[in-house]
Amino acid sequence: MPNHTLCIDTSAGTTVAVLKGGQVLSEIHFDENMKHAERIGDAIAQALSEAKLLPKQVSSVVVGRGPAPFTGLRIGIAAAVMFAEGVGAKLFGVCSLDAIARAAFEKRASEDKDSILPILVTADARRSENYWALYSGLTKSGAPIMIEGPGVAKPAALQEKFAGQEFETTALKISAVDLGKVFEAQLVDGTASQNIEAMYLREADAVAPKVLRDFGKKVSG
Amino acid sequence: MSTSFVIREATEADLAQIMQLENDCFGNDAWDQDTMHFEIVAHHTYYLCAFEQGSAASTNELIGYAGLSKIPGNEQADIQTIAVAESARGRGVGKALMQELLKEAKRLQAEELFLEVRADNPAAQNLYLKLGFEHIDTRKRYYQPDDVDAWVMRLQFARGTVGREPIVLGIETSCDETGIGIVRGNTLLANIISSSMDEHARFGGVVPEIAARAHLEALRPTLHQALAKANLSLHDIDAIAVTNGPGLGGALMVGIGAAKALSVAIEKPIYAVNHLVGHVGVDILERGELETPTVALLVSGGHTSLLLVRDLLNEVELLGETIDDAAGEAFDKVARVLGLKYPGGPEIDKAAVGGDPKAIRFPRGLSLPKDMEKHRYDFSFSGLKTAVARWVEKTEAAGEELKVSDIAASFREAVADVLVTKAVNACLDNNVPRLLLGGGVVANKRLRELAQERCDAHGIELRIPALSLCTDNGAMIAALGAQLIMSGRAPSSLHFGADSTLPVTSVQTP
Repeated sequence: MPNHTLCIDTSAGTTVAVLKGGQVLSEIHFDENMKHAERIGDAIAQALSEAKLLPKQVSSVVVGRGPAPFTGLRIGIAAAVMFAEGVGAKLFGVCSLDAIARAAFEKRASEDKDSILPILVTADARRSENYWALYSGLTKSGAPIMIEGPGVAKPAALQEKFAGQEFETTALKISAVDLGKVFEAQLVDGTASQNIEAMYLREADAVAPKVLRDFGKKVSG
Repeated sequence: MSTSFVIREATEADLAQIMQLENDCFGNDAWDQDTMHFEIVAHHTYYLCAFEQGSAASTNELIGYAGLSKIPGNEQADIQTIAVAESARGRGVGKALMQELLKEAKRLQAEELFLEVRADNPAAQNLYLKLGFEHIDTRKRYYQPDDVDAWVMRLQFARGTVGREPIVLGIETSCDETGIGIVRGNTLLANIISSSMDEHARFGGVVPEIAARAHLEALRPTLHQALAKANLSLHDIDAIAVTNGPGLGGALMVGIGAAKALSVAIEKPIYAVNHLVGHVGVDILERGELETPTVALLVSGGHTSLLLVRDLLNEVELLGETIDDAAGEAFDKVARVLGLKYPGGPEIDKAAVGGDPKAIRFPRGLSLPKDMEKHRYDFSFSGLKTAVARWVEKTEAAGEELKVSDIAASFREAVADVLVTKAVNACLDNNVPRLLLGGGVVANKRLRELAQERCDAHGIELRIPALSLCTDNGAMIAALGAQLIMSGRAPSSLHFGADSTLPVTSVQTP
């Protein structure tokens, strides 16, 4: 039976693709980074429709786990979980930065550059911070090899961290197609993971009140 | 000359021929090439071409095309266009194209199919009438510049879910409870609630980000439990209902993402429904119907709302709501002042045992004559919370003993009093002999007692659903979805988003 993979990522915009053994059957991109809830249903429906696939023909669902701004990220994971439940597909998780890394190494290879420098992948983490991870290259099957990270840091802190090290950066954005290709490579390598937990990398913004009675003005004396 | 023709799905490669025929047939009204291109390749459309068959010379000659639009999740479909070359008319090409589109619309589970046709085209109108369409409306001067009216025509397919009791799965994630419920019509089949309350305890209140994270983790186990409890599989579900507001935005979006994907996966319609109206509609699951008109008092950690419901699906009016803290929030904050745990409601109930509710006369918010003019049905608990804090500070500063039971009982009395007074006023003012309570604060014993006393005194019937249906839950969302389906409402599109402040007048987001 052909292995149809539905790939979903909401770490930046909403991107959904259908892959079949390395072949891209469809890809849908909505760029808005605040409209995931509105777009996710259409994105999945359109990706299936363009791939001329019935939902139940999907045998694997792959979702980007971030790291990414939380609210959008969760929508993609929630959708992936429920879609997999709905059609009885297997569910896998991939680090969203891996997808960008793969695309960046592929691009470098296609440009015939003989650089072997690592590539630092960054993505907007809001609050003037970036999510980041450093990659040394791809495995033979094409799965990115992360050598440091993932983390979240201010650009200055990141610069300081890697001061003196040589690396390249990339301006590529995430695509569900690359996410799916990372997954397919990981399947070959035996490193595909069913962990779909969101990679938040930050604690929830909440501070436990030190004294549980300290609101209101204190009466002096 | 052969009279046979073949029909197949249109592709981009047919665009040039289609555009030629489009311009020949529609002149002034013709679509431009970009529009047509989008129509042919769009995910939600189905376009067919009819080609001449037989004589070698005319093979591949396009003699007609037609398109259907059907948005997944929406049970209404549209005939977008249909054209037959002048030279090929009278051979049943149009009818054959229409029949194929009708088949496809049925396959996609459309319940209604719409089209527009020029009022001055009786040949086409007759074809549609024969196929079962009816003329339901006329759009004046729709076709310009010819100034010709359009007939709106509709074909209703045998309705799958209307008429029998639909099995609806409801998803609720508006606050800190992940609720998945399943109903069959008015019957409750499952109501599973997974709460993140414990994780909020050390913060003394619901932390939205923590709630949203917990929803994501709870989705799968909660779904499995609900299906197991109802003894159903997802194949049995006829429709999905989901809360899209009011509530915490990030939390709502987890449920929305989940519900939309499930709807697409199992190819069933989705209904985006109002959380507060869900609280009202839940009584249907206990009594088989909601008696109207009724006043509904919904009190929780996030809401304090007084509604007048004349018709659950069509006439829900917000009489008043809190202008600051929700009642449940006031319980939580006062619990903190008294050194009690979270959530505050049950803790204050416990602490109030043996306390004198009249020991301290705490203020009743917005109950003074001047407030009653403008805020007759509104609530305010911020002043009450501060009054308790001041009382505690004053007592401690004076070195006196803090009688926690008296404070708890007096505070609780103030909350219950103002809630019930305003709710009973709403019943009396509007001549409504019924009051329905909902929301987690209904768990408060004193509130229930006082509501019963006052309702009895005024001959008002009091309805308090089981606590598991009063707190936030998915069953109430499923029940509201089922009501919408049974009354023939079209499903929501896949486009809706979360609306933190969704008004109660919006029972369903289209």
